[in-house]
Amino acid sequence: MRLFEFEAKKLIKDEGIPVPEGRMAEDVSGVKKIFSELGGAPVVIKSQILAGARGKSGGITFAGTAEQAEEEAGRLLGSKIREFPVKNVLIEEKVKIAEEFYLGVTIDRMRYKIVLIACAEGGVEIEEVAKSSPEKIKKLAFDANEDFYPHHGLVIARRLGLSGDKMKEFGKIASKLFKAFKKYDAKLLEINPLVYTDDGRWVAVDTRMSIDEDALFRQKTLVELGVEGRHEEGELTPRELEAREAGIPYLDLDGNIGMFPGGAGMGIASIDLITDLGGSPANFMDSGGGPTPERLARMLKLLVDNPKVDVIFGARFGGVSRCDVFAEGVIMYLKDEKPEKPMIMRMTGNMWKEGLEMFEKAKAESPGLFEKIKIYGIETPIEDVAKEAVEAADEISAGKGVVR
Amino acid sequence: MSILIDEKSRVVVQGITGGAGVFHTKKMLEYGTKVVAGTSPGKGGHEIEGVSVYDTIEECVKEQGADVSVMFIPPRFVLDGAIEAIEAGIRLLVVIPEMIPVHDMLKIRLAAVKKGCTVIGGNTAGLISPGKCNVGIMPEITFKQGRIGIVSRSGSLNYYVADTLTKSGLGETTCVGLGGDPILGSTFSDILPMFENDPQTEGVVIVGEIGGVYEEEAAGAIKKMKKPVVFFVAGRNAPKGKRMGHAGAIVEGDMGTADSKIRAMKEAGAGIAYKFSEIPGLFGSKVGTGR
Repeated sequence: MRLFEFEAKKLIKDEGIPVPEGRMAEDVSGVKKIFSELGGAPVVIKSQILAGARGKSGGITFAGTAEQAEEEAGRLLGSKIREFPVKNVLIEEKVKIAEEFYLGVTIDRMRYKIVLIACAEGGVEIEEVAKSSPEKIKKLAFDANEDFYPHHGLVIARRLGLSGDKMKEFGKIASKLFKAFKKYDAKLLEINPLVYTDDGRWVAVDTRMSIDEDALFRQKTLVELGVEGRHEEGELTPRELEAREAGIPYLDLDGNIGMFPGGAGMGIASIDLITDLGGSPANFMDSGGGPTPERLARMLKLLVDNPKVDVIFGARFGGVSRCDVFAEGVIMYLKDEKPEKPMIMRMTGNMWKEGLEMFEKAKAESPGLFEKIKIYGIETPIEDVAKEAVEAADEISAGKGVVR
Repeated sequence: MSILIDEKSRVVVQGITGGAGVFHTKKMLEYGTKVVAGTSPGKGGHEIEGVSVYDTIEECVKEQGADVSVMFIPPRFVLDGAIEAIEAGIRLLVVIPEMIPVHDMLKIRLAAVKKGCTVIGGNTAGLISPGKCNVGIMPEITFKQGRIGIVSRSGSLNYYVADTLTKSGLGETTCVGLGGDPILGSTFSDILPMFENDPQTEGVVIVGEIGGVYEEEAAGAIKKMKKPVVFFVAGRNAPKGKRMGHAGAIVEGDMGTADSKIRAMKEAGAGIAYKFSEIPGLFGSKVGTGR
């Protein structure tokens, strides 16, 4: 989960890392006051959105006078940068840059290490530098239980060719950044650029931080910042928001086949399966382990209510979950909502026979509900069931005059 | 033979008194798995499904000879529980819970490597050596003792691949679910040499998923193998950059895409399956003839 720049800066400032003097603004009314509070010198105005390349997309601007600052802030606020609405801006003193460095901490998943990364050529082209001149990237790797000692900071600073106070101060910042990374259960914490000013100070001009949402239970400070429930990146569609509120991992796609799978792995693979057969999935969805009947009914409702969806394709494998619970959820939904859309499903795994019996019983009681519902068991290959769903969807599209 | 678990494995259930602990203890016992103990701090002395409950793993190891542990505890308690199991001398730890903090997984991996313990998960359905032992939450229905090893990130895909192998008559030696979390206790390259050294295993299916780096990393281990390897990856048609439920399945950088994984696997000499039904054919005459 990515933090906003102003949030990340607050956290590293609290650790003692110098950041530019700055204030937040949600509207233009206070901008002139902020300008004078910052000393009346030139400022930088930065849109606070959860996306990179803000500078290249026009999300960062400069102002030399209070009037200009007000005008520039007004232009950014309420506009969209890379499709993200700008709700607030960070106004900061403009730092006099002499040199730009890169300093970051992240996790090397392959080697199970926490890695400190530094480079004397920071700025927006850092990834290019890493590709073209990998020798310029200096790294120190740590086991999860290893401490960061002051000498580690000096070692990396020396490898960058720094000396004297400049080296010592860089080392301290590295040490503090590493400490903040661990303290906040971060997955990424980087300062880019870490600027050395022409009056001989280090300043963290931009900061990016991603934290582990699975560790929020022990991160009171982060919860107080209001990061809980924030999406990884970007904006959600109304249906994605609705699913999110119901606690269902869900993504909208463009097609007409509503995907009603089991776990996330099969959720992803069934998109391949349907696409390879010439069909077009309307969504990705993950039931999570052991969904309740209510949750399953909620998932189905989400699909059926989507006007783009013509057919539902279900693939349930009772692993953590049970097929009798699956049947209960589907039957509950059919009885409550009496949907018109065809559903083609396959069900195997834990208690699949019991599940099929429940469907047969419900069908005998109210056959009308099951006119467009087909449930297959373990004897029918998943590819055959998927094919039937794709054909049914094609038929409905053809009836609507849609060519797919 | 099989890898990691067999009819001699002695299993302890961490969190045996919780709802999932009780349900899956019963299922594992029905399968024939030797569940010899359970833990639930403060409830030592009780019994669940005829299995003795202890307060600590140390007691389960001393009194019942437990050597495998499977966890049904909330993610925030996994770090403590895992270190406890590793220090008590458990040789295989199966972490069923999902959403374990990544910094905790780093610590668990470190402790495990130091003590020679294999950690599977988090967010795994567990592992099964069909006909011998089932540790975790996989339904036994699709598995049949046979010749092929499966190592998969996704539980649900593991079932579908096993279903295919069972119907083709090849069957499975051991099926390992690595788990769906972003940092895993074991990777493909930890498991593949075990299959290479297992006399009964004649070939291996690797079931990958978009996101992460573990499939690409496995290429080196595959090159060292004599046995045939088939690769299946989920997410060839996933929209790039969209998050797909499993915390790990995030398309990231050059590595992590289905294309990158297929390329690495092809280069390492693995056969590529685009559908479940293609898997048995890709082993061709390389398996099932020399017995």
